Amino acid sequence: MSRVAPTSGTKVLYFLLIIISGFLIYIDLKHKSFEGIKNFYQSFIISSSYIFKSATVEPIKLLYQISKDKNELINENKKLKRELDNSHILNFIISNDSKFFADDDSINRFLDINNINEVFHLAKLEYFDTELYMCCSKHRAFIKTYKNNKNLIGSTVINDMGIIGHIIYGDSLSEVLLLTDIDHVMPIMSGNHFCNARGSGKPGKITCSYNNKVWQEKVSIGQEFYSSGMGGIYPKGILIGNVSDIREVEENFIEFDINLVSSPIVKNVVGVLESI
Amino acid sequence: MRNIGTVKLLIIIFVLNILESFIAPHLINFYISLPITFLVFSLAIYNSNRNSNPLFAFLCGFYLDLISSSPFGLNAGLFTMMSYVINSYANTFKLFSYIQICIFFAVSSVFYLGFKNLIIGLDNFSYSVLFVSLFFNTLLFLLIAMLRYYFPSMSIKYD
Repeated sequence: MSRVAPTSGTKVLYFLLIIISGFLIYIDLKHKSFEGIKNFYQSFIISSSYIFKSATVEPIKLLYQISKDKNELINENKKLKRELDNSHILNFIISNDSKFFADDDSINRFLDINNINEVFHLAKLEYFDTELYMCCSKHRAFIKTYKNNKNLIGSTVINDMGIIGHIIYGDSLSEVLLLTDIDHVMPIMSGNHFCNARGSGKPGKITCSYNNKVWQEKVSIGQEFYSSGMGGIYPKGILIGNVSDIREVEENFIEFDINLVSSPIVKNVVGVLESI
Repeated sequence: MRNIGTVKLLIIIFVLNILESFIAPHLINFYISLPITFLVFSLAIYNSNRNSNPLFAFLCGFYLDLISSSPFGLNAGLFTMMSYVINSYANTFKLFSYIQICIFFAVSSVFYLGFKNLIIGLDNFSYSVLFVSLFFNTLLFLLIAMLRYYFPSMSIKYD
């Protein structure tokens, strides 16, 4: 079917509408007369889409979120249970064998270096009063062996740096008399020079005095002294320390201090050598 | 698409306006502008069996002005003009080939774009956009026109 071309009346209407359009464009651009209508329409669209979303999309999203949260909770629960099981296993290991985490390599290395073939028991430092150690003359430590209930009184206590003392009393805990305790005496030597070193009551320091008529060989600063093994407690030949200070206390009597190479406060794992 | 109802056309224009606002920012990166709403309205007038009322074209344009936030009267005037041209040359178009009609619509769309850019803001006016759009739109319409040869069922449905 053919279409009829616009009549003159229709053409006038077209022309009129185009003129009106031009006029509308002009007043809109010039005076912003239709901003209110446009803003109203935009706010209507935004509100409608919001209401539509709230009524349709949001409930579905909420349902999805609830199901997702539930899954997340289940997964979280499973994860926590797994971690709890792991924690139980770890606690079981620790409670049944606390030696599990103790490192005896350093003590083995120390014994190898000093050619000591004694059996040793790993022990941990249970109690050590550092204030007493720093201020006073009574230097004691309390240790507990991991897997040994033997009577270890008189046994040497070492760490990876050297000798720290020996056990003087043993029960559930063993009391260690440290080298620096004022009651402690230890025979030491350097070459042909022998001396009984007494604890100074000061941390890391022991004192030795001798008659220079008996021991004519002179002691010098930095000279190394070793355990002599004469007391029957400590093994022979372990480095004890270096001479730090020399003084004449009386005529023919020389006293010197030795700085110890080992310290009881460096590590909390020690080795107890079986009595020699 | 022949003799599409008024309400249907308004809904289509509303949806296409949203689609256009999504596509336009991406296409402009390639200097292309595709006035989908204008083209669909033109196609609806072109495919109609009878001449449409000028007031109908004017109100459709006015409606598009409202929903697209363009100055009032811009689309109203352009839609009225397009409606006049199509109604005036409706019988002449029957003598044209598809290629000529595709070129006509592409030129119309470029005219629409140019006029719109002039009114909204001269800063938006770009010859490169107009030329690339002319080339792209012509190709696009040719492709769409060729679809009826590859998919005859479509032409049966709409003719």
